[in-house]
Amino acid sequence: MISERTRRNLRRELRRSLLAKLGIVVVILMVAMAVFAPFISPYSPSQQSLDNSRQPPLGFSTKETKEVTKMEDGSVVIEDGQVVTETQTVYTNATAAHPLGTDGNGRDILSRIIYGARTSILVGLFGTSLAALIGVLVGLSAGFYRGRVDDLLMRSADIMLAFPSLVLAIALVGVWGQAQAPIPDPFVATGLAPAFRSAVGLPTGMPETVVLPGTVIVVVALVNWVWFARVARGEALSIREEEYVKAAKALGASDGRTMLRHVLPNAITPILVLATIQVAAIILLESALSFLGFSGADVSWGFDIALGRQYQSTAWWISTMPGLAIVVTVIGLNLVGDWLRDALDPGIEGEGGV
Amino acid sequence: MSLSRFLIKRSLQGLFVIWGVITVVFGLRFISPGDPANVLLPPDVDPEVRAQVIAELGLNEPLYVQYWQFVSGIPFGDLGLSLVTRTPVAARVVAKLPATLELAIAATVVAVVIAIPLGVLSATRRHQPADYGATVFSLVGISTPNFWLGVMLILVLAVQLNLFPTSQRPIGLDGIAMLLVGGEAGAAIRGFVTWLWHITLPAITLGTYFTALITRLTRSGMLDQLGQTYVRASRAKGLPETLVRYKHALRNTLIPVITVIGLQLGTLIGGAVITEAVFAWPGLGTLIINSINARDWPVLQGSLIVVAVGFVLVNILVDALYAYVNPQVAYD
Repeated sequence: MISERTRRNLRRELRRSLLAKLGIVVVILMVAMAVFAPFISPYSPSQQSLDNSRQPPLGFSTKETKEVTKMEDGSVVIEDGQVVTETQTVYTNATAAHPLGTDGNGRDILSRIIYGARTSILVGLFGTSLAALIGVLVGLSAGFYRGRVDDLLMRSADIMLAFPSLVLAIALVGVWGQAQAPIPDPFVATGLAPAFRSAVGLPTGMPETVVLPGTVIVVVALVNWVWFARVARGEALSIREEEYVKAAKALGASDGRTMLRHVLPNAITPILVLATIQVAAIILLESALSFLGFSGADVSWGFDIALGRQYQSTAWWISTMPGLAIVVTVIGLNLVGDWLRDALDPGIEGEGGV
Repeated sequence: MSLSRFLIKRSLQGLFVIWGVITVVFGLRFISPGDPANVLLPPDVDPEVRAQVIAELGLNEPLYVQYWQFVSGIPFGDLGLSLVTRTPVAARVVAKLPATLELAIAATVVAVVIAIPLGVLSATRRHQPADYGATVFSLVGISTPNFWLGVMLILVLAVQLNLFPTSQRPIGLDGIAMLLVGGEAGAAIRGFVTWLWHITLPAITLGTYFTALITRLTRSGMLDQLGQTYVRASRAKGLPETLVRYKHALRNTLIPVITVIGLQLGTLIGGAVITEAVFAWPGLGTLIINSINARDWPVLQGSLIVVAVGFVLVNILVDALYAYVNPQVAYD
C-alpha cells in the first residue's frame, strides 16, 4: 500500500527535520506511557491520602498561613475569658514520593497523568478510526458514483459542518448520556503488573479495568467524519478516471471490489496524514468534553484540569500539570502530521482545535 | 456563470443546508432517552395530569404535525417555549447573543492584529530568530486547549498578580450603547473600560488558537507568493521592496486567509462555548450547557439552530466577498 518512493520521501524528510524526530519520540513515549501504565505508575490514580493533599511538585514549596490556638507550655492561653489564637505559617515541601505533587484529595498527579493518557489515547485512536471508517466509506462512494449520490452525501456533510464540532459533541453527549464499558486491564488480569510491582517495591492495587468511554468515542467520530469524507471524495474523483480503475471495471470487478482494492489503496496517503491531525483534534475534543464534565470519565486530563480549578489560589499545579500533558501530546502529533504532510504533500485541510 | 447567478446558486445551497440543520435538530429529540414530559413532572404524577401536559406540549400529535409546528415557526423567529421557564426560547437566545458575539469578535480582532504582521515578519525573515519564534508560537498555539489556557491566565494574571478579574461580564457593548444614547458619556467611558478589563482574558483565551492558525497560514501564503514570478518581475522592474511585499504579495496572501477565517467561525463559536464556561461569561455557550444540564431540550435546539444558521450565513457572505474580490471562482 505504501510505495517505495513514499517511504524514501518519508525517510528523507525525517533525516532533515529535527522537529519530526521530536514528534515521533513524544508520540511513542505517550503511547508507551498509556499502554504500560500499570507497570510504571507510582500509585493507583484513584488512591486518596487526605493527609498528603495539595503537595507541591518537586522544586516548589507552599506557604500557608492559618489561625491556630495559641499554646504555652502545653496549655491553651486564655485572656479575658477568650481563647487566644495566633497566625502560624505552615510550609509544605515537595517530596520525591510525588514528583508532580498531589491533588485536592491527595492523589498522585503523576499517576493520574499516566492513567489519563489511556483515556486520551483510547478516544483518540478509536474515535479517529471510527470517523475514518464512516468518512472514507461515504467519501469514496460519493466520489466513485458522482451524480445524485455525490450530491446527497456531500450536502449532508455540509449540514454536519454547519454545527461547531464541540457544540454538537456537547449536545449529543448531553442527550445520549455517558455510556462506558469497563474492560479488564490485560496486565493486571494476567498478574504481570502486580508481580512486577511487588518485585520492584511499588505499591500494588492498580485499577483492574480500563474504562472505554463508548459514547464519547461514537460522538467524536460522528462529529469529525466529514473531514475524512471530503478528502476521500476528492481522491476518488481523480482516481476513478485512472486506467487501472477502468481496466478493473472492464474485467467485471464489482463496485465494492473496485473501490476497496483499487481506489482505496491509492487514496490512503492523504487519509493517513489527515488521521494523524485528527487524533490530535479528537484528543483536544475529548479533553474539552471532560473539562465540562460531559464525558463521564473520572481519570482524564481535561477532567483533572476542571478539578484543579477550585484550588487555583492554593495549589496551581493541580490544573497546570494535566494541561501540560495535553499540550505535549498534541504538539507531538502535530509535528508527526507536519512531517507526513511535508514528505507526502497531499495538500489537505481539516485541522481542528478547541 | 455570472457573479449574480453564482450568488443565487450559493444562497439556494445555503437554504438547503439550513433546512437540513433544522431537521437534524428536530431529530435530536427522538434520540434523547425519556419523555420531555418527565422534565416537567415528577415521576409519580397522576396519569391524567400527565396526559394533559403531553397534549399541551403537542407531543401526542402525529410526527409530521409536530415537525410542521417546529419548522413553520422558525422563519418568524418562533423557536418554541422553554420546558423549564415556559418562556419563548428565541428571546432567551437573543438575550445571550451579544455576549457571545462580543467575545468572538474580540478574539478575531486579537487574532488578526497579531497574526498577520507576525506571519509576514516570519515569512520575510525566514530562518532568522523572528521566524523560529513565530513558528514555535504557532505550533504551541494550535496545540494548546483553550480552556486550559484560560485557566492558566486566570491563575497567573488574575489570582496571583491580580491584574484582571477572574470572571463575569458586568456590562456589555449593548449596555454601553444604551448609556451613550442616554447621553451619559462619562458612564459610557467607565463602562467601556470595565468591559475591556473583563473581556481581555477571555478574548486572549479564545483568540490564541486563531492567532496561531492565521500566523501559520499567512507565513506559508506569503512564502508562496514571494516565490511567484510576478514578485520577481516587480522587483526587476525596480519597485521598492516594501511595495512588492506589502501591497502585492500580502494582498494575494490575504484572500485565502480571509476564507479560512470564515470557515473557522464554527470552531470559534465552539471555542466560545468552553471559554464562556471558564470565565462564567453569560453567552450562548453558557445557555447551551445549562440547557443540557436542565434537560431543557427546546432551549438546546433553539441555540443549536441559531449557531448553525449563523455559520451558514457567514459562509455565504464570505463566499460572496471572495467571489467579488476574485471573480474567477464564480466561473468554476
